[in-house]
Amino acid sequence: MGAAPRPGTTASAVMAGAATLMLALTACSSGADDPAPAAQGKAEAAGAVSPRTGGTLRLAVEKEPECLDPHQSPTESARLLTRPLVDSLVYQDPRGGLHPWLAREWTVSGDRRTYTFRLREGVTFTDGAKFDAAAVVANLDHVVAPETKSLLAGSLVAAYDSAKAVDPLTVEVRLKRPDSGFLAALAQPNLGIESPATLKGPASKLCATVVGTGPFKSDGGLTPQKGIDYVRNPAYGWAPEGAPRTGPAPLDRIEVTVVPDNSARLGALTSGQVDVITGLAPSSVGTLKGTPGFALHTTPFPGANYSYWPNTAKGPLSDVNVRKALRAGVNWRQIVKNVYFGVYDGAQGPLSASTPGFDGSLSSAYGYDPAEANRLLDQAGWTQRDAQGYRTKDGRRLTLRHMWSDPSVSTLAVQIQASAKQLGVELVEENLDGGTFVNRLLDGDYELIDTSFSSPGPDVLRVLFGADNIPTPKRGISNNMARYDNPQVEAYFKRALDARDQSEQFGVYAEVQRRVTDDAAVLPIYSPLSTVAAREGVRDVRFNVDGTPDLSGIWLAS
Amino acid sequence: MAGVLKTSPAGAAAARTEDRRSGRGHGSLVRLVLVRLAASAGVLWGAVTVTFVLLQVMPGSTADVLLARTSVSPEVRERIVAEYGLDDPIPVQYLTYLGRIVRGEFGESYVLRRPVWGEIAAQLPSTLLLVATTLLATIVASVALGVVSANRRAWVRSLFASAESLVVALPPFWLGLLLLTVFSFTLHWFPAIGSSSPAGLVLPTAALAAGPAAVVAGVLREGLLRAADEPFVVTARARGLGETALRLRHVLRHALIPVTTLLGWIAGSLIGGAVIIEIVFSRQGIGRLALSAVANKDMPVVVAVVLVTAIAFVLVTIAVDILIWVIDPRTRDSGR
Repeated sequence: MGAAPRPGTTASAVMAGAATLMLALTACSSGADDPAPAAQGKAEAAGAVSPRTGGTLRLAVEKEPECLDPHQSPTESARLLTRPLVDSLVYQDPRGGLHPWLAREWTVSGDRRTYTFRLREGVTFTDGAKFDAAAVVANLDHVVAPETKSLLAGSLVAAYDSAKAVDPLTVEVRLKRPDSGFLAALAQPNLGIESPATLKGPASKLCATVVGTGPFKSDGGLTPQKGIDYVRNPAYGWAPEGAPRTGPAPLDRIEVTVVPDNSARLGALTSGQVDVITGLAPSSVGTLKGTPGFALHTTPFPGANYSYWPNTAKGPLSDVNVRKALRAGVNWRQIVKNVYFGVYDGAQGPLSASTPGFDGSLSSAYGYDPAEANRLLDQAGWTQRDAQGYRTKDGRRLTLRHMWSDPSVSTLAVQIQASAKQLGVELVEENLDGGTFVNRLLDGDYELIDTSFSSPGPDVLRVLFGADNIPTPKRGISNNMARYDNPQVEAYFKRALDARDQSEQFGVYAEVQRRVTDDAAVLPIYSPLSTVAAREGVRDVRFNVDGTPDLSGIWLAS
Repeated sequence: MAGVLKTSPAGAAAARTEDRRSGRGHGSLVRLVLVRLAASAGVLWGAVTVTFVLLQVMPGSTADVLLARTSVSPEVRERIVAEYGLDDPIPVQYLTYLGRIVRGEFGESYVLRRPVWGEIAAQLPSTLLLVATTLLATIVASVALGVVSANRRAWVRSLFASAESLVVALPPFWLGLLLLTVFSFTLHWFPAIGSSSPAGLVLPTAALAAGPAAVVAGVLREGLLRAADEPFVVTARARGLGETALRLRHVLRHALIPVTTLLGWIAGSLIGGAVIIEIVFSRQGIGRLALSAVANKDMPVVVAVVLVTAIAFVLVTIAVDILIWVIDPRTRDSGR
């Protein structure tokens, strides 16, 4: 989950230019060395063949978590790298459905504040400890304890009050208030169940080594700036219901290396130094598609699209007509197609289409209509034009300050700026250092901010549009960067939390998506892609509900 | 010039003089090292203080920067602020921090959430290894280049000089990617990642050493040419000294003085400055640690990295002074 871009990407962006320079060379070399026939990745991933057991998968990832412990860490890389180690009480399939995992079944009380979980029997942690009700209580308490300083998991279960072990295989969880997203939160690796003995040790140790009940274990743990090695847990026999396999994982070992540079990662794959890489740059996706012997697997990240967030609280964009005009008057989809080589799909709503609970019926509101845009701007009073052709009202130019701190967005930003100029809207691009960015965000001193926000469900809408989440100096950084505050939508959020089941919850969130669309509270641009490239012979590459690749089902045909 | 004349008496007399001087000079060497060590305590204090001030001056409160990209409850935020003392007045924070450093407590990284020394100790070996191989490669390559090119005709020398300028102008990351593409991805001679093996050191060393080697070779050639014109060379030739012995024992010695200073500076700057190469070659290293720590306002790590780098600079400076003391007998007089 990410909100304000952290200013840590300068070096990689510096190298983006070099990456482009080297691409042609890399492509040629791999073509020459690998005369194997072209692999149709998606087609062959359909596993009619039974998995071959054994082998070591060498994986190069682009990022590492600062701290491995999913209870503490908020990053996507922590979720990816701990999913093979920890299981959860509940399993959420990629379409959002909830299934039993370490919890065999559960019941919810009438007031929706007590959840009773019956646990699976015979499950053991990889350190030999038994999985039982006490372990579940210890984990939930660990997540919410202030000493854990959880940067995400704690807020995912903000409604959590207490848990108690009724008997060795029954846990009763009390919530402070109803929370229809509680089960989905439990399914995330951030609420993964770790061995209770390790939770009592120092937090710093958990940042390197995580012990769970998962299909893999890692005694050495995460070595910063290097990676992590896993070995199969041979005792594993409690895969989630509905998973393609039940017993131990097919692979003997997984060796993960952190390779931050995009072209080095791609070159390592095409030269056979690793089997799989993640996080391909859009330009690399095109290169790889034309390279025989390799398969590309992609899925859109669920959650909020990469979007421009208009400051709805003050400035020109507090006028809904100006926001709507910007939405209709910039040809977002064409720009995305041009800038990202057709790799990314244009957005069709506030949420990406792969998000459970996404409402596809709103996509027509996000079409390109310059005539309507100009009409809306005239109606909003921005009727005059100055010498440079920008619209003015009362002698003031229609100027919008777009602030960012991640240089990788600049190509896209320049295209959008050019498109807005044709409307008579001036976009001022402000590339700021992280600290200044944060200060301006807290003060609401901007018209536009850009970010995406990955999250495996529609609850993310509450994070992005809830009045409680408007960033202020007192509250600190929070994720309602549109500074959107709508009492009706607040009421929907309350109803969504109170929802009896997932379909009721999805129904309420569809209403929220409609209201946010009516108010043009977000200008969605494209759905970021989770990308995995693998050599031919790497089979059954699937994705988890949060968009991270599922490492535990992969097997090697060669 | 007077100094050169003074130290250039030829023959056995010179050797005797040097023997006598170095015998007496040991005392002055010890004094030189002691003075240097005292001064370096001041350097370290200054480095820590400047770092602290710069981090405070950087926009954005530490808590806000730390908690960007996270989702925390107010309780967790309070806890983090209290635990790291982020709400204390700046002078209190400074004194607390200084006190802990004096006691050798570097605390835990705000972001990595692990003891700072452990993290530095984990990254330092890779960095030192790369610095060592880079220095070695720089010395070997530049001495070879310098000696080979120095007694060529003018146009050959300028050819060397242009090639060196070209190499210096190459951005190291681009050179790194070029080396990777040719020697790893295409020819499969060296690994691109998994850099702990000796083979994994070759390409990053080449990428890092290319620029310094070119600079040093140029400086060395100039030094050799200048030294070759000195009167003592004529005297040495008159003594019937062979051309090779002359060049190695007398001319090279003179030319090495600026080169040694330059190498010291290069060694120091490589400790924290190899970040781009560390990223391109996916190597562990202090540079990457420092880059992310500064971006995240991770003060304990930043201060520790600055301290390690400053200590390295101090040690290198002392080593350079000793080396020059050995190479150049004239400097020994100043210690008396």
